Amino acid sequence: VRHSSYYSSPFLEDVGEITTKYEVTRIPEEWKFVERVLPPGLVPEPVKKPEYPSGWKPQGDDFTNSPYFIARTRNHMMPVYLKIMQRGHKRHTIIRKIQGDIWQLEKHLRPFLEDLIKPKPLRLQVDEFAGKICINGDHVNAIKYWLSQRNF
Amino acid sequence: MGSNSTEKALSILRYLPRCKKRGRGQHGGDKHGAGNKGSGQRQNYMRLGYETGNNPFYLRFPHEPYYQGHHLRRQYPPLSMLELQTLIDTNRIDPTKPIDLVAILNTGLYKLFPDQKQFGVHLTDEGADVFKTKVNIEVQWANEIVIAAIERAGGVITTAYFDQHSLQAMLNTKKFFERGVPIPRRMMPPPDAIEYYSDPDKRGYLADPEKISQQRLVLAQKFGYLLPKIEEDPEYEMLLERKDPRQIFYGLHPGWVVNLKDKVILKPEEQELQRYYAS
Repeated sequence: VRHSSYYSSPFLEDVGEITTKYEVTRIPEEWKFVERVLPPGLVPEPVKKPEYPSGWKPQGDDFTNSPYFIARTRNHMMPVYLKIMQRGHKRHTIIRKIQGDIWQLEKHLRPFLEDLIKPKPLRLQVDEFAGKICINGDHVNAIKYWLSQRNF
Repeated sequence: MGSNSTEKALSILRYLPRCKKRGRGQHGGDKHGAGNKGSGQRQNYMRLGYETGNNPFYLRFPHEPYYQGHHLRRQYPPLSMLELQTLIDTNRIDPTKPIDLVAILNTGLYKLFPDQKQFGVHLTDEGADVFKTKVNIEVQWANEIVIAAIERAGGVITTAYFDQHSLQAMLNTKKFFERGVPIPRRMMPPPDAIEYYSDPDKRGYLADPEKISQQRLVLAQKFGYLLPKIEEDPEYEMLLERKDPRQIFYGLHPGWVVNLKDKVILKPEEQELQRYYAS
């Protein structure tokens, strides 16, 4: 329990002369600790390493031959999300940030997904204007694997 | 003057009839505050809680002790080792410096609410088998598997307690420094937590360092991995960096005031204050 509060402390003008002794220090090593404790303003850029143990992969460099492009989010993650509705009964996989020819991407995705859910039919919706593909079911990890294979 | 008019109003009120009528005397007579007919007038009341025959609310539910004291229990929102590894891989957390709660909160991806009885990070063992970075980490709760995974990778783990006031300061350090308040001392853990934090098994910050090194050997033998020798590590100094039990931030002592605008640190020079903050 702290014994003073915001309302109990007076305004700076009413404080007057400060009689407690204090010293003002400008040591660069100590200021480094202060800077370490302050948060960075922007999302830091990931560093290139030969191996990432967590399974995260950075985006590839050359997409001149690909008819479509799937950008990364501002946190350098893949834009594949799971949307759960109706108290857990409905699950949709959404791929966002698709640029270029979406229909080509759909044409390449269909055989891969139909193979996954063999006898069941695949329900897929392409939103060309928004650059989104919405798939029925939980295929987030499968699609992330498929995209990482193509270096997206 | 204002007080004059209020005094006059109060003196007038004194002679007005009271709002609540007693059922006695000249003006409280007739039915004497008991209404018309019914059990009310006949003063034959039912017992408190009786609902004219149906199962009353206070008897409907049997004793349910599962939530007893739930509002007093400490919560530690989890952070998996996989998430920690992803944060290190995407360069959000620097593994070359000691990682503590401030570093995890500064990424912005882990949220903590101290006012909801949340006291820190609980490192879970999901992703312990892929964890491969050498880190000096300080969490609030960790189990055996997590400790073993971090030590197998060559790192150091400690469990420390932060009271809610220091947690609030760690949440938004910029806002805390702008307040102009001296950095507070970290309080001791409450009686039911002191045991946990003085346990060398859990690498508590109040435990004996020799016993901790013994437990490291024990864990290595239990899980069957070679314990890497930290003394021969080039980052030995960084791995050994530990906070004082009264310190909140690395490198900043309690009692200091940080001035962000002039980039200056103010330290107290009075004997009493220095003694208080050093205790």
